[in-house]
Amino acid sequence: MKYLSEYRDPAIAQALIRRIRQSASRAWPMMEVCGGQTHTIVKQGLDELLGGAVELIHGPGCPVCVTPLEQIDKALALAARPEVIFTSFGDMLRVPGSECDLQQVRSRGGNVRVVYSPLDALELARRNPDREVVFFAVGFETTAPANAMAVWRARELGVSNFSVLVSHVTVPPAMEAILQDPANRVRGFLAAGHVCTVMGWTEYEPIATRYRVPIVVTGFEPLDLLEGILMVVTQLEEGRHEVENQYVRAVRREGTSPARTQVERVFQLVDRKWRGIGMIPRSGLGLRPEFAGFDAERRFGLEEIRVEEPAACRAGDVLRGHLKPRDCPAFGGECTPERPLGAPMVSSEGACAAYYNYGRLRPLEVVETS
Amino acid sequence: MGIPGRIVARREDQGLPMGMVDFGGVRRECCLAYVADEAKVGDYVIVHVGFAISRVEEEEARRTFEVLREMSQLDELEWIAEVADASLAPWERWAR
Repeated sequence: MKYLSEYRDPAIAQALIRRIRQSASRAWPMMEVCGGQTHTIVKQGLDELLGGAVELIHGPGCPVCVTPLEQIDKALALAARPEVIFTSFGDMLRVPGSECDLQQVRSRGGNVRVVYSPLDALELARRNPDREVVFFAVGFETTAPANAMAVWRARELGVSNFSVLVSHVTVPPAMEAILQDPANRVRGFLAAGHVCTVMGWTEYEPIATRYRVPIVVTGFEPLDLLEGILMVVTQLEEGRHEVENQYVRAVRREGTSPARTQVERVFQLVDRKWRGIGMIPRSGLGLRPEFAGFDAERRFGLEEIRVEEPAACRAGDVLRGHLKPRDCPAFGGECTPERPLGAPMVSSEGACAAYYNYGRLRPLEVVETS
Repeated sequence: MGIPGRIVARREDQGLPMGMVDFGGVRRECCLAYVADEAKVGDYVIVHVGFAISRVEEEEARRTFEVLREMSQLDELEWIAEVADASLAPWERWAR
């Protein structure tokens, strides 16, 4: 397909890899923020092809992985209610809550439906006026415009049996939390290209300046990632710390303003818990007061549910880049995609699932190539 | 994750701009509200959970790819210069 196959050209990938190896005077540790990027890196083995020329640390940008246990438990409570049709993106169904997961609630008779788009959930509400349709609105800035539109349309069309369980998070506060961590090793970022298609990159400029880290807005194809890595390495070698854009074909500095505007109309910044990381101030999106009628937590009285994270899953260390998935004691034994202990083993964008599914079961020996 | 697709038809659903988007043969209806002013039939857009969130600039896509390809060709020339035995090059033989 156009704009996909070109960016997978193996000869060009080889050339980029050679250039990265030539440019890097040391194995600079850098973080790819987005789980989609982690997926490509591990699937294509880009980190291994680079042979230690840089160290790729996998970031927290997997929406399923960072949704706190508390929100999962609220979803489970809602899905079990007889009057509710609970709708969600497919990858949330197997994320373990305190007691079970959404799939198990469904097998016990809960009406849980997978939707492709939040507008499909809204359509379901219009077709089932005698039921309450709740949509699990998770995700980063990439998904926020879609979820904002569903709420906006529900109000516009007067669909009163539709509500959303919101667990939205935003990238820049998470990057700052990582950089403020005393144990942080990250020296540069590949910023998430599709988050930036919506938001642009102005928010990253003060972060690059304050923490003196290069931030390169990067796409998702192998060549995008390799070029983004090369751009970060070049900045580090030259002692620069700027925001640059690798993903020029899809990202503009100001983002897609109609989408940003719609997000701002419906949502406002709120404090949000991240699974495995904890509370990050003003890192999430919640409904504005004028849309409070569409807030499922309020409609069904779930605001008071508070849950502590379990200790066995070390998702927090993985999401902050302190632990590679295969170095976790539970990885591949106690925790597998069939019986996941935590969300990073469930989602296709989770680092643990990517390592497991692409055979990274034990540390590989580095093979020297010329 | 978002993926690129090409708009093949546009319509409105009670005031909401919608469109059929082709993803390499698989077609799906998507909301075009956020790119309504800039994307027309035939344009590529990045689609995420049923919403076009950005128009792909074809000219930029081509330019980026060309830069990468030129770099790779240049790289191949450098590689040849590095590893090939210079004494076997025709001009070296002429010089003898």
